[in-house]
This record gives sequence, structure tokens and C-alpha cells, in this order.
Amino acid sequence: MQRSATRPVYLNLVQIRLPIGGFVSIIHRITGAALALATPFALWALQASFESEARFEQVRALLGTGLGRAAVLLVLWMLVQHLYSGLRHLFIDIDVGVDLPVARRTAWVTLIASIVTVLSVGVLI
Amino acid sequence: MSGARSLGGTHRGVAAFLIQRLTSIYLGAFTIYLIVYVVSHPIGNYAGWSGYFSAGWVRLAWGLFVATLLAHVWVGLRSIYMDYVKPTWLRFIVSTATALALVALVFWAAVIFLRGIA
Repeated sequence: MQRSATRPVYLNLVQIRLPIGGFVSIIHRITGAALALATPFALWALQASFESEARFEQVRALLGTGLGRAAVLLVLWMLVQHLYSGLRHLFIDIDVGVDLPVARRTAWVTLIASIVTVLSVGVLI
Repeated sequence: MSGARSLGGTHRGVAAFLIQRLTSIYLGAFTIYLIVYVVSHPIGNYAGWSGYFSAGWVRLAWGLFVATLLAHVWVGLRSIYMDYVKPTWLRFIVSTATALALVALVFWAAVIFLRGIA
């Protein structure tokens, strides 16, 4: 039972100096965990919106406030970032984009594309 | 070589890996559909909202989305716990609490989508 003594596992996020691929990987985990925590709130809002027209308008008003709008945009960003970095990981799973220069570039692409997507959706809605 | 292998089958991780990847395909497709749909059909009044969700297949697709999402969440959180929650007793507690919460959320979502919109 003393396997961990010699295994080179180093996951201290505060001390580690991450390359961009690692940074995107951690962002993928953080957005995933945060989205999981947001799920009950989304279900609550959906349930309320189903109950009656008055409740629907209440939820809409709540999401229309400055804080509500910020929360919606944050969740949208996390969702889109998780989607793009997840797609990148899926491609890497099937050996597409594994070479380091390409992998570094696609890591940057996910970060930029998610921001562009959120800004576009924010303007369009 | 005691440790992890003696706790279970050696292929357990493969199932988790596959569940995570397969669910991600439906989740990704549904997310893209949602974003495109909301941009092209902005949410209007309650009548429009109610009309959209009154279709059975819409609620089925949403219910499937939530169920798939929670399976995906389980695999994702589990791998985070395996990396960062080291004491076995704590990982057991956290994993059990997560599993119960996810099952509760599945039931809640089932109630929402089976009951439908007023």
C-alpha cells in the first residue's frame, strides 16, 4: 500500500507552472465543476417558469437584472468554454491535433473562440 | 501492486471514459442547438415558452439532456475527486453525497418534464 511514495504525481495547482494546454485543461475542469453546481439553479428556474405566467415573468425579471444578466453570461461562457475545450480533448483522443505546436494553438483557439461566442450571443440576444 | 487494482476490476475506468465521451456528444449537439435556437428565436412571452415546451418531443429531448448531463457530471466530478480528495474516507463521503445529489436531480428533472408546462 505504499505506491504513492514513489509515484511522480504533482498536482499542486498553486505551485505548478502550467503550459497553455494544461491551463486549458484546468479551465475545463473548473468550468465543468462550476456548471455542475449551477445545474440545480437552472432546474429551479426552469421549474418556476413552467408553473404559471406570473412565475415565468418573475424568473425573467430576475435574469434581466444586472446581476442576473451577468450570471447568465458567466454560465454561457463556462458552457461554451467547456464545450470547445471538450471538443479539443475529443479530437486529441482520436489523435487529431496532438503535435505540440498544433495543440498549443488549438488551446488558445478555445479560449478566444469562447469569448467571441459569448460576446456575439450577448449582442444578438 | 496492491492499491487501486485490488479495489475493483481493471476495466472500470474504460466504462467511465466511454460514458464521458458518449454523453459529451449529445450534450455538445444539444448545447449548439440551444444556442442557435435562442439566437434565432429570442424568448418572447409566456405563450411562446409554453408552446415550445408543450411538445412532447421537446420535453423528451430536454429530459434526455438533463439525464445525460448528470451522468457526464458524475464521471467528471469523480475524476476530480480522484486527483484532489486524497483521504479515502473523505473521498467516500464526498462521492456518496454527490451520487445521492445527482440521483435526486434526475428525479426532480423527471418530475419537471413529465408534469410539463401549465
